[in-house]
Amino acid sequence: MGLEAIPVVVEPADLAAARAVLRELAVLVERLLATGEGGAIDLGVLPLTPAARAWLIDRLGRGEVEIRLTAGGQSTITETGCAGVWWVRHGNEAGVVTSELLEVAYVPGLVPVSRAEVENGLQRLNSGLDGLN
Amino acid sequence: MNELQERLAWRGISRRGFLKYCTMLASLMALPPAAGQAMAEALARARRPAVIWLPFQECTGCLESITRSHTPTIEGLIFDALSLDYSETLMAAAGHQAEQALKRAVEDNAGRFILVIDGSVPTGLNGAYSCIAGRSNLDLLREVAPKAAVVIAMGSCAAFGGIPAARPNPTGAVAISEIVRDKPLVNIPGCPPIPVVMTGVIAHYLTFGSLPELDRLRRPRAFYGETIHDRCYRRPFYDRGLFAKSFDDEGARQGWCLFELGCKGPVTYNACAHVKWNDHTSFPIESGHGCIGCSEPGFWDAGGFYRPLSAPAGPLKLAAGAVAAGAAVGVAVAIANRARKGAARAAHVTATVADLEKADGGER
Ligand code: SF4
Repeated sequence: MGLEAIPVVVEPADLAAARAVLRELAVLVERLLATGEGGAIDLGVLPLTPAARAWLIDRLGRGEVEIRLTAGGQSTITETGCAGVWWVRHGNEAGVVTSELLEVAYVPGLVPVSRAEVENGLQRLNSGLDGLN
Repeated sequence: MNELQERLAWRGISRRGFLKYCTMLASLMALPPAAGQAMAEALARARRPAVIWLPFQECTGCLESITRSHTPTIEGLIFDALSLDYSETLMAAAGHQAEQALKRAVEDNAGRFILVIDGSVPTGLNGAYSCIAGRSNLDLLREVAPKAAVVIAMGSCAAFGGIPAARPNPTGAVAISEIVRDKPLVNIPGCPPIPVVMTGVIAHYLTFGSLPELDRLRRPRAFYGETIHDRCYRRPFYDRGLFAKSFDDEGARQGWCLFELGCKGPVTYNACAHVKWNDHTSFPIESGHGCIGCSEPGFWDAGGFYRPLSAPAGPLKLAAGAVAAGAAVGVAVAIANRARKGAARAAHVTATVADLEKADGGER
């Protein structure tokens, strides 16, 4: 039996930051379960190398939901394989990614509508109905 | 809906779009993500803070940068949502009406307004080189600044004297900080400065009630903490000793480092390389021109935009092959300068263009 038969997992040397992200995510998810309050990790300020980033994407996996938001450019909010953890990428009107976050929440903060917006929606519905009468 | 949201909605910017922008702002300022939400809420809640914008010895490029970087800018809209009580360039009023507006804005908001100044202050001939309504900039600044809450020196002229202060400085131009010494003051240098830096500073002030952390030149560290060179996409070529020798040679076509063509990126602290210009489109080095160092003090007198710095400022990481081939510029000079640079780094002092400039100049 040669040495190659001994299973050795070699991880890229730059995984420290990616591991720290996973650990912090676990803390945030625990907090979400305990208090209902989640949080977010800003990937823009973390020194993640492409290899570390790929490793992180791989570890988090892919969930079922993908949300596309069009507000001042395209954003995508993708559910990871770890429910409650969302990968959020904000782009501007030129299609450039301006910020990237991992958000821990039951529903990502940008998604729900506000009460004022629902009220406006109702007004709009009613004015549409008025036009029909 | 609050007033800010109404104004933004009127310009087609939704609550989500605004929140997204604040998230980006927080990220650029290296604040925790929750700060984006806090900023959005604070900006929405804030009583429209009065802003008085005084244009001194300047070219209006800074104001153009803020208001016209692309259409419509959120920077512009937020700026619009502030109460811009006096800006003689933007306001419809002129003459006595404009002067009345300034007087009223200062009196009504004494101790609370944000004073933004672009342009340097000429001190020669007792300030007579630049006057508004018969009053010198110097006079006006001495009267208005003591009543401001904070002062923002916008652009390199206001921050460091800029082009008006270039040798031989015929008007005796000085930076705002030379005159205003007892107020919280932030310098946002650049010729012109990056619009989002001003929004970031104002958003920080309105959210946390303080200016962001500043460096020794009173620039916000979040935007001026690294050099252009630190974040430059051509850096791998620099590290391998691959330099364009002229603007149309093979190296230039291959996108090699512009160091030998006079790039001042290694000694210039600014955010162009990652924030970029024109809606994050690009920055000058991406257009094939070296950085001219416009956000550093004295950039105009730094010996020529096309004259190379004498030594690489970052750690040399030349491949053995590149060194053997003698491909790198000034390796010997770099060694000669290493002690000086090392000392500067140890003392955490920014090496200036003058420190690194070639003594004999010009050769490539
Ligand atoms: S010298 Fe200029 S072009 Fe070269 S890597 Fe540094 S900043 Fe970029």
